[in-house]
Amino acid sequence: MSATISTEGLGRKVSVGAIPLELKKLWEADEASTNASLMNFLVYTEDPNQLAENSKTIQNLTREHACRAVLIAMDRKAPEPSVDAWITAHCHLAHGKKSICSEQISFLLRGKSMGRLRNTVFANLNSDLPLIFWWQNELSDLFEDRLYRLLNRLIFDSSTWSQAQEGFARIVEARDATKGRLVIQDLAWTRSFHYRLAIAGLFDDPIAQNSLPYLESVSITAQSGQRTSALLLLAWVVSQSGWKLASSDGDSFQFSSKNGRTIQAELNWDDDGAPIGELSLKALNCEVKVLRKVGSAHLCHVLCTDGHCLDFSGPADAEDPAGLVASQLSRGGKNSLFLRVLPTFLQLF
Amino acid sequence: MSNPFREDLVSRNRPESCTVVIFGATGDLTHRKLIPALYNLAVDGELPTGVKIIGFARRDWTDESFREGLEKLNREVSRTDHDDEIWSSLVPNISYHQSEFQDQEGYTSLAKKLDAIDVERGGKGNRLFYIASAPEYFDDILLHLKEAGLSQASKDCETCWSRVIVEKPFGTTLATAQHLNEVANGTFEEKDTYRIDHYLGKETAQNIMVLRFANAIFEPMWNKEHIDHVQITCAEHLGMEGGRGGYYDGAGALRDMVQNHLLQLLSLVAMEPPTDLSADGVRDEKVKVIRSLRQWNTPELVNENVVRGQYLSGNINGKEVLGYREEDRVNPESKTEAFVAVRCMIDTWRWSGVPFYVRVGKRLPKKATEISIHFKATPSVLFNAMPGGVPDGNVLVIRIQPDEGISLRINSKLPGTTLRMEPVKMDFHYASSFGKSSPEAYERLLLDAMAGDATLFARRDEVEEAWKFVDHIENAWHESDNPPPMAEFPAGSWGPREADEMLAGEGRTWRRL
Repeated sequence: MSATISTEGLGRKVSVGAIPLELKKLWEADEASTNASLMNFLVYTEDPNQLAENSKTIQNLTREHACRAVLIAMDRKAPEPSVDAWITAHCHLAHGKKSICSEQISFLLRGKSMGRLRNTVFANLNSDLPLIFWWQNELSDLFEDRLYRLLNRLIFDSSTWSQAQEGFARIVEARDATKGRLVIQDLAWTRSFHYRLAIAGLFDDPIAQNSLPYLESVSITAQSGQRTSALLLLAWVVSQSGWKLASSDGDSFQFSSKNGRTIQAELNWDDDGAPIGELSLKALNCEVKVLRKVGSAHLCHVLCTDGHCLDFSGPADAEDPAGLVASQLSRGGKNSLFLRVLPTFLQLF
Repeated sequence: MSNPFREDLVSRNRPESCTVVIFGATGDLTHRKLIPALYNLAVDGELPTGVKIIGFARRDWTDESFREGLEKLNREVSRTDHDDEIWSSLVPNISYHQSEFQDQEGYTSLAKKLDAIDVERGGKGNRLFYIASAPEYFDDILLHLKEAGLSQASKDCETCWSRVIVEKPFGTTLATAQHLNEVANGTFEEKDTYRIDHYLGKETAQNIMVLRFANAIFEPMWNKEHIDHVQITCAEHLGMEGGRGGYYDGAGALRDMVQNHLLQLLSLVAMEPPTDLSADGVRDEKVKVIRSLRQWNTPELVNENVVRGQYLSGNINGKEVLGYREEDRVNPESKTEAFVAVRCMIDTWRWSGVPFYVRVGKRLPKKATEISIHFKATPSVLFNAMPGGVPDGNVLVIRIQPDEGISLRINSKLPGTTLRMEPVKMDFHYASSFGKSSPEAYERLLLDAMAGDATLFARRDEVEEAWKFVDHIENAWHESDNPPPMAEFPAGSWGPREADEMLAGEGRTWRRL
């Protein structure tokens, strides 16, 4: 399998034991560059073919987020254990002048794990800098406590999970085991950040705000592969509004509000549309809607009252995982809102 | 009723939708700073829904010509690339209102326009007036706004507000500042009056409090026991290009920069930890610093503690440049300082005996604003007792602009068999570590004003205390019988010798930037 794996962009192949020395040589070779690092950024995949793509992602990500990047791909099916390593640096001109570089170490681990992931991570960190771990695809059995106890931030995309409930159970377990120190960031949640900002902005309007107790329906349209993203968004609306789940039937839900009103909610799927294409909240005389056209970098915010509509554009979230990770890193924070919404989400799931 | 969707979404005060009325809308500030700031807030999704912008000015422009001019400049100067889609959703909300600043009719029709917008928006009548006109119109604008009933929010709406942002200069003396404050407080409430100082909106200025109060290692040493002195430098390589001599020659470096920007920076460096991060919590502590400045209230004291200067012809970036008095729109007999260095003493328990040297000037070798904290030398034992001693004390530098960042100079052993030491620098650059560009100061400040957060704006007492300090110096220069002399320096150098001598007399030197 490894013979066909692309190593383009991974840089110079080095022996694992010589990585610190090789990195030193790399920096000494170019005195005009500045080595910058704000964090250890670890990208882990169990798909070895992803390694070269991840290197491209780091190339882009380091424009705004200087880091030591450690890319690890694990080929667990390989019969014999082996490891290959590469080093490179991604450099960018800061403000058109100074060359700012971030170093990258890539590993291809083959064969049984036997704690090799954990060891590879711990052996290649810049001390004192936070450790951000992007776990791509399903959480496997290698996601274990001796690893996650040392992470500062875990990034994953639950919309790629086939066993989402199991995955979330492990996340909750990790969060509890670390007594809340581990910051959890789900890209399925990040994907709706600007939708949530837009809805909050639209409900600043007094007319929309007055209609809140009288909301009758919620509808979300998304690609079918984004069910988790859509459900997290719905869970946020429900949780913030203080509604209780009354019943559910597939993608239709019924909630009851604090004042005893019934609210219908529906998830619709459109694979030709944007990842999340529309969120609409309707009351008798008011509709608040946020839409995104396929490929558009903007969200359209719409507020309609008594037949009169006001609309304007705002920013939209990135569509690719790398863009979502970049915006998540820019925002930082403890992500406490996600944790508050999580129980509602798990109830709807 | 509150908006539940706002909870926990962003960790800052929530800006509220409003109509922004800009007085002096045809000017440079509006085109180069204010509209690009509002546009960039829209790009980042930070601009509240439904914000309307009305440009108020004398020229006979239309909505279309106003918008065209704004778009043209926005394409040139915006921090982020000009995005046609965002611009086209912003532009229908921009309109132009033509009127003389002294014409009450113009304000009456403005009030009608604002009422119509409120009706369209469902009754929420928040107004933010931004006075960016020439300073001689500040009084007129404030008084006419009151006359038109615009300085107070509608009594029918409990949660509505009416706020005013006033650009610098906020007065030219203590008396004129007090007068302007009387007018401002007679029209708008103090809590609704936002005196802008764009230095406070800069990322690095905001970082001073974070550096001091979010890092346990600095605050225990932030006092007279450990700090020898502090330097605040604001150097400018430009002279009086673009006709700025007209304004500058009437103001001078002390009024133009020290009274506002540099005393604000000084107060952030020297203040006690505030009890909380509320606007008044922070400003209460800042004003105590300015109030504690020892007053240089005689010509003799001014002579000892202040150096003023004018540049002579010289070289900047390899080009010959004129001397100050030869500049366009500058009086050839001018007595205005284009450079000033002040020794400030803060008479508080924390800072007793620690000088804060402040210098600002035009036609210095480069553009740079920074604060440097010079720590005391180590005791005269061990390395300090050796021949040559320790090279230099530790210096913590906070670079405000350009190349924003923080550096710490420490001493290190040179590799080798002998014990020799050299200073080395630990350096943090915003641009290297954070690739994302910081918002412009005006973006942050406009958003804060919409959110009712006045922390980064100067309060009345701060402004007046600063003028009190500056007025004594100005009086010694211009009103006394034996005024301290005007020093000279060649353009492109680091100021007059007298400024160097002020520090040399105390065994110190200006930091080489």
